Amino acid sequence: MKTAADLNFGEKAIINDIDFNHPSFRRIIEIGFTPGQEIELINKSVFDDPLAFSLRGTMIAIRKHEAESIRLL
Amino acid sequence: MNEIIADTSPLITLVGPPNSGKTTLFNFLSGKNFKTVNYPGSTIEYNATNFQQKYGINANLLDSPGIISLVPNSPDEQVTIDSLYTHPKFGIPKLIIVTADASQLSRHLLLVQQLKQSNFNVIVAVTMIDILHKKGFRILREEFSDLIGCPIIKINGRTGEGVDNLVLQIKSDLGKTNNLSNGKLERVETSLHAEKILAQYKEIEEIESQIIVPIAEKKDLESANEKLNILNNALNNKPDKYSLKLDSILLHKYWGIVFFLLITGATFTSIFWLALPIMEFVDETFARLANFAASNLGVTWYSDLIADGIISSVGAVLVFIPQIVILFLILGFLEDTGYLARGAMLIDRPLSKIGLNGRSFVPMLSGFACAIPAMMAARTISNKKERLLTIFIIPLMSCSARLPVYALLIAFLIPKEEAFIGGLIFSFIYLFSIISSIIIAALINKFSKNIIKVEDSSSFILELPTYKLPKLQSVLRNTYASTKQYLKEAGPIIISFSIILWALTYFPNTNPQIDKNLLNGVEYEDAVQIERVSTSYAAQIGRFIEPIMAPLGMDWRIGVSLISAFVAREVFVSSLALIFKITGEEETLRDSILDAMRNAKIAGTNEDLFTPATILGLIIFFVFAMQCLSTIAVAKKETGHWRIPIFQVLIYSGFAYFAAFIVVNGLRLLGIQ
Repeated sequence: MKTAADLNFGEKAIINDIDFNHPSFRRIIEIGFTPGQEIELINKSVFDDPLAFSLRGTMIAIRKHEAESIRLL
Repeated sequence: MNEIIADTSPLITLVGPPNSGKTTLFNFLSGKNFKTVNYPGSTIEYNATNFQQKYGINANLLDSPGIISLVPNSPDEQVTIDSLYTHPKFGIPKLIIVTADASQLSRHLLLVQQLKQSNFNVIVAVTMIDILHKKGFRILREEFSDLIGCPIIKINGRTGEGVDNLVLQIKSDLGKTNNLSNGKLERVETSLHAEKILAQYKEIEEIESQIIVPIAEKKDLESANEKLNILNNALNNKPDKYSLKLDSILLHKYWGIVFFLLITGATFTSIFWLALPIMEFVDETFARLANFAASNLGVTWYSDLIADGIISSVGAVLVFIPQIVILFLILGFLEDTGYLARGAMLIDRPLSKIGLNGRSFVPMLSGFACAIPAMMAARTISNKKERLLTIFIIPLMSCSARLPVYALLIAFLIPKEEAFIGGLIFSFIYLFSIISSIIIAALINKFSKNIIKVEDSSSFILELPTYKLPKLQSVLRNTYASTKQYLKEAGPIIISFSIILWALTYFPNTNPQIDKNLLNGVEYEDAVQIERVSTSYAAQIGRFIEPIMAPLGMDWRIGVSLISAFVAREVFVSSLALIFKITGEEETLRDSILDAMRNAKIAGTNEDLFTPATILGLIIFFVFAMQCLSTIAVAKKETGHWRIPIFQVLIYSGFAYFAAFIVVNGLRLLGIQ
């Protein structure tokens, strides 16, 4: 399944669900990555990690490893 | 605590996510009359105050560090949230004011929901309405208030508009008899938390879709299109346009790194070049003061104590203030503009390779000024292992206390005319210490199970705030607070140990008998002092440890100076001055010390004590050794254990000795004395 880590630069997608086995699960949803939200990949750091997403009117940087837990529709 | 806080008044606490305009609101409510205090039993700071008199509210107002949820993710947040529920001194707040950024309302309402779920009386102060307006939307305040079930006040952080309404609301809410809105205080359960968050976000999104509407004036086709889009909740969810543009450069794949290096480089250089003249001024002033005291108080033990003990040690503490102030000014400005979060993002990947985190970046950078504020800055790292590892390697960052030591040692090697080469050696030492600290961090990370003893899943989740112009007032305030913290932590330790050190070099032979006949006045005084030091307690300790120093080609005098460098590294220089009993024949203290060093012989021989080999050995020793007592004390405090500071002393100082041994003896094998 496609995850937030697979998005291309400038690509938008809707979140389907978050992998609740991921160790940072709680923090990821707490900061606003919840099912139904639209996200857009707006920046990548030099080594393509961390990734910055536009979400709920702001920008959030998370590691690729964390983005992999965000599954997309 | 302090006189402006009265225990009997009701408590109002200000809460809000980072970057939600909380501090600005606090300043509006408090004026400039507030005190920075620590949470009881911790070093986390918050501001406490009364309301400005003109508002006529009789209540205590507490600020609190930014949080996004009532479930803690770091030790800092744990303390913050515990104290929010029930403050150890003030109890349960009668009223909580939450700030929420209108341009990212749904994220910030989560905290509001959780506070209401805990049964607090809540007022929501909605900020950054202007940004929402720029996006073409506005908030329906009354509907919002009905739907969320608590008063909503719009605040303009720039003009202060809306603060009066907030004050009226506070007054009316303080009239309520109950501290809590409904029955008893209920903490947000961590175990059920995830499901609850999802449900709360659903509710919030439902509310948001009803209360954020497009600004009516735009009645053209474009706005009709916009309206359609709102149904997807898409348009008002766009981040700030200008920040996106700026980020396309500052977070650019290649340019981003260039800017990162430029900005850190500039920060770095200004710590040194801007601070250097001021530091020299402080140094000279205290040297003059000491001289003045010594020459006016006559030849007694207490004149020596005042001049060489007290005045010099106060100078030793104050000499770092310029660097610390400049560092925190620059960091404060970078933080306020929103760049620091970007810097942390850019450096996260390389740092994660050695077990650190993008958030380690600021503490490590601060470490180049002083390890004490640096270790405190590590509190923002939520992952425990990464936080402890960051604290562990901070002493390896070349702090400013090493500067005077390196400056003296390099000046010994390089003649004055060739200052350029000296500068090169300086840069080389810094580069060397950065590279070796990377290697050491990687090694310690490998053995972290044995050294740090904490396993924790690593994460990096960080909001990149909208770029803003920095606010001078808040930057100055933070700089002041950090500087005060340094003075409080390091000051007493450095001063008291410097005085002990002075006593050790002065007693017991306070009045040595020297044959006056063949000596003039100055020579006689020198001879008295040299005799006093070489029969002092310090000398006795030094001779005791001489067997340890001998393999490095050094004697008891360097040994004593190295021991005294444990007080603070720069004390090494003044200790050399004490032990070689420098008198002011040369123009500056450094020249006199250099002179004495060039003439020093290993006891009983005609061999020079200071040679290029021993000097390089000393430099290497200072690169690695864990020497600063204040740092050790802060490491203990920040990690809650003696284990990390003890390991730091054993590993770093052990390695420093070993490396110095290799350098001195290696150079000698190569024929360099």
